[in-house]
Amino acid sequence: MPSSNRGFSGRGNGTITVIEEPVMRSYRRRAKVVFYVTWVITAVLAATVAASRWHPIIALLAGIICGYILGAAAGVIVAAWPVIRAIWWWTPETLITGSLVYGWIELADHTTLPVRLAATAAIVGIPAAIKPVRARIHQVTWCLVTRHRIRTCFSEFIITNRTGSLPLILWARPTPVGERVWIWLRPGLCLDDLLDRLDKIAVACWATAALADAASASNAAFVRLDIKRRDVLTGTITSPLLDMIKSGTPASQRDTAEIPTALDLPQVAASEVTPIRPTPLKRPDHSKAPASASPPAPAAADGSDITDWI
Amino acid sequence: MTGPEPSTGTIPVGPMLSMYDPIHVGSDEFGQAFYIRLIYKNLLAAGEPGGGKSGLLNTVAAHAALSADSRLVLFDAKDVELGMWDEVADEFVGPDIGRAIITLLRLQKVMENRYAWLRAHRRRKIEPADGLSVITSIFDEIAVFSTVLGTEQEQRQFVALLRDLVARGRAAAMPVVAATQRPSVDIIPKSLRDLFGYRAACRCTSTGSSDIILGDGWSGAGYSATDISPVNPGEALLIAEGGIPQRVKAAYLSDADIRALAGYAAWTRRNQRLTTAPGAAIAVA
Repeated sequence: MPSSNRGFSGRGNGTITVIEEPVMRSYRRRAKVVFYVTWVITAVLAATVAASRWHPIIALLAGIICGYILGAAAGVIVAAWPVIRAIWWWTPETLITGSLVYGWIELADHTTLPVRLAATAAIVGIPAAIKPVRARIHQVTWCLVTRHRIRTCFSEFIITNRTGSLPLILWARPTPVGERVWIWLRPGLCLDDLLDRLDKIAVACWATAALADAASASNAAFVRLDIKRRDVLTGTITSPLLDMIKSGTPASQRDTAEIPTALDLPQVAASEVTPIRPTPLKRPDHSKAPASASPPAPAAADGSDITDWI
Repeated sequence: MTGPEPSTGTIPVGPMLSMYDPIHVGSDEFGQAFYIRLIYKNLLAAGEPGGGKSGLLNTVAAHAALSADSRLVLFDAKDVELGMWDEVADEFVGPDIGRAIITLLRLQKVMENRYAWLRAHRRRKIEPADGLSVITSIFDEIAVFSTVLGTEQEQRQFVALLRDLVARGRAAAMPVVAATQRPSVDIIPKSLRDLFGYRAACRCTSTGSSDIILGDGWSGAGYSATDISPVNPGEALLIAEGGIPQRVKAAYLSDADIRALAGYAAWTRRNQRLTTAPGAAIAVA
């Protein structure tokens, strides 16, 4: 079952490749190992426990059967992991589409055409008319899009491990500047792999910029991607302190100092200012002047020399 | 300084803020409110003129002014950037190097007294339950004090006293917030610059200037304040101790906002002003 990539793809001959063959082979091999290891360990443990109540031969058979069942379950999960991961990726879209189709069928079974049209108009029209709802739907839609674009990034240019296993793209939520996506990395990937490719990720996500950061202080596999589509720093930021004060506070009586009146150069005569000879900022030349004649250099409070500061 | 009684029938009360609380400085690049904890740390803001340094300083000054456990000491070489807070501050120093040194000597004495108090109580730092005020010193345009005003000796003394305050003031609940245009070695020695836990780089014209503020090598890692738009004052790269620079934008306070905040704070603090003669018993070195 050859294919061109690691995700869903049409091959033009009526079949759809969900998982490419090398990846499936790798997972089948891993599933076999998991199956046998789980079988043996579970069988030994189950037989040991069962032997305390049953005949040893019956306990051994029970352990073998129990281990076989658990091993098979674990093996199936491992073997099907790429498919489970793909289902997880498409879960929101699947649920939304299923809900719409199911709702439409239920509506068609129980209502007339005018009611169906009215319901459709309400479902579409109300969110379209109410700006906050429309904006929220827009943000959530971008979250769904971004998850798939990031999956494409990993599939196309980030994967570095031998088996080509993809990371698990967990969830996404809107931020004022775009979307924030949490990712569980697989062996072979690290945060630096993302940091080195932020420009490409931004392009793939149709965004202005992308930022990557660790999402956990204790687990390097848990990372966070921020997709920026807007710049919020161009606006004026107001201080919340203004909300903490009340208007009408009585003004205090200020000490009235004399207000200067010479506010233009012709009003300030040369005789009113004292020329200051600039002091050269040089180290004292000890070879030319006696040490006792030079002013003592100030010392910092901790006693360190500060002569090289200025 | 006293004012008339409120004509509205209500008495303004403090907003119950504390300098131990996180201080809102603006918004991060994701649109989320951005806070810093200034207590036990210091903040240095730098960048080209008009980059928004003074806006950042005013935001911190506003929080300090509205905090119940706070006292302000202001040094403003331009006289106007922090000038509207003068009624709230225990001391407001304009472009006067002599008064700046006197004030720093007073702060140094307070700091030493606080350390003696801590030692007497077998403690290492001031805690909120101690009931001592947090003395926040805010410096705008350090370069004017350290390179322009006064004699060379006075400038060196100013830098030495500032270094002492930055280095030792944290545990004594005496944080320092400072701003300058380019913290090169002729303005602030590197040893002093590195003592600032928070460093905010506003718009810079060169990657070298950005690295001087944030630290060596950050421009090579993609964090350069030259990327900040010159028409977006207030945006800055802010680095915390051991952290990665974060793109933030400082909250903007208009003159009317500052007057309202300062007036409110002055009313709530009207009984807390200093009454002693400043610097009477302190000799200038």
